Amino acid sequence: MSDSGTGGQVMQARILADRYRQAIQSTFATDTDLLRRGSLVDTCCLIEIGTEQLVLTIRNGRPTVAERIPLLGSWEFAIRAGAEAWIALWQPVPKAGWHDLFALCKRGAMRIEGSLQPFMANLQYFKDLVTLPREGGPR
Amino acid sequence: MSTPVFEPIVGRYLMLPILGDQCRIYVEEAGSGIPLVCLHTAGADSRQFRHLLCDHAVTSRYRVIAFDMPWHGKSYPPAGWQKSEYKLTTELYVETIRAFCSAMELERPVVMGCSIGGRIVLQLAHAHGGEFRALIGLESADYQQPWYDTSWLHRSDVHGGEVCAALVSGLIAPQSPMEYRHETLWQYMQGGPGIFKGDLYFYRVDSDLRGKLTGIDTRRCPLYLLTGEYDFSCMPEDTLRTAEAIAGAKVTVMEEVGHFPMSENPAQFRRYLLPVLEEIFKVTA
Repeated sequence: MSDSGTGGQVMQARILADRYRQAIQSTFATDTDLLRRGSLVDTCCLIEIGTEQLVLTIRNGRPTVAERIPLLGSWEFAIRAGAEAWIALWQPVPKAGWHDLFALCKRGAMRIEGSLQPFMANLQYFKDLVTLPREGGPR
Repeated sequence: MSTPVFEPIVGRYLMLPILGDQCRIYVEEAGSGIPLVCLHTAGADSRQFRHLLCDHAVTSRYRVIAFDMPWHGKSYPPAGWQKSEYKLTTELYVETIRAFCSAMELERPVVMGCSIGGRIVLQLAHAHGGEFRALIGLESADYQQPWYDTSWLHRSDVHGGEVCAALVSGLIAPQSPMEYRHETLWQYMQGGPGIFKGDLYFYRVDSDLRGKLTGIDTRRCPLYLLTGEYDFSCMPEDTLRTAEAIAGAKVTVMEEVGHFPMSENPAQFRRYLLPVLEEIFKVTA
């Protein structure tokens, strides 16, 4: 995936991925709400942002982002979308139809794949986790 | 001692038979005038209309009545429920509404329903239009493409209430006040096991009304359809397509509102609803 985009697309995806890493870091440094709600979450998932892929290992609700995906690395489920979808989702007030993971899936701008039990059993946690970069936080 | 502060809502239980089953139905009402019966969404209950029930601009001319469907809210399932799986059908839904209106001795009420309630008012307009003064469909369409696997809503390894709430959370507009967003979700967290899924049987399997809405006479029974722009379940284009097939149906797309206008953002919703109620009052009172 990472070698299929143009230079501009790759750069944009890297910027967005960095923004996501920073949002996770700053949120979990101070906010305990997601930790409380996700205290039983233990899983590993892939977040694909355009040409960038992040693997999140989550233990007791606390995610850590791998520096790079190891050879033969695995995860339970993946959330994949292009840069356009993540940019839209992270707007302070997203446009209608671009404001929720399932809205994005329904319009074909996002895919959620894999073994979905951990995702569905903690659905609001994951919806909020991937919306952290939104200004003002998840709704 | 300070004086107790009560809202104007009065709640009672109504006993009535529905398709042979004796049911105990929880009913709330406020106001006087034209009866306005309110139908809640799938997997929720009549609390969704609490703001409308306390809106003097409405209750000064309408007797607003909201009830919990059997299996929902404070209405129990019929006796023997433990040996059956709940599935709402078009026939059961229509007969529930008609039996309720009859038991309450309502004379040609206005019926306003949201989501599954918005779907059923189309069927009421089609098959029983003469019984109603006007019909209002919120988030209403003759059909919507199913967009997820409902088996997630009722299984032993996923908390039903939490997954139902999380599923619908994206149907609320981002502009809706945080307090009312989470009040709306709380209702979904409190639904009985499998009830949201059972309601969606009606929505997804048993009520494809495409091409079946012939004979609706909007001169005899005016039909209003209002849909929120942030509703990606019943999208505005679904409502617009539905209205194109019904001569005289009036459509409004509500800005900054999602799938639960009356409970997620009551102030925004009343901007759109009050003119509709004003028109119904003038035309039919």
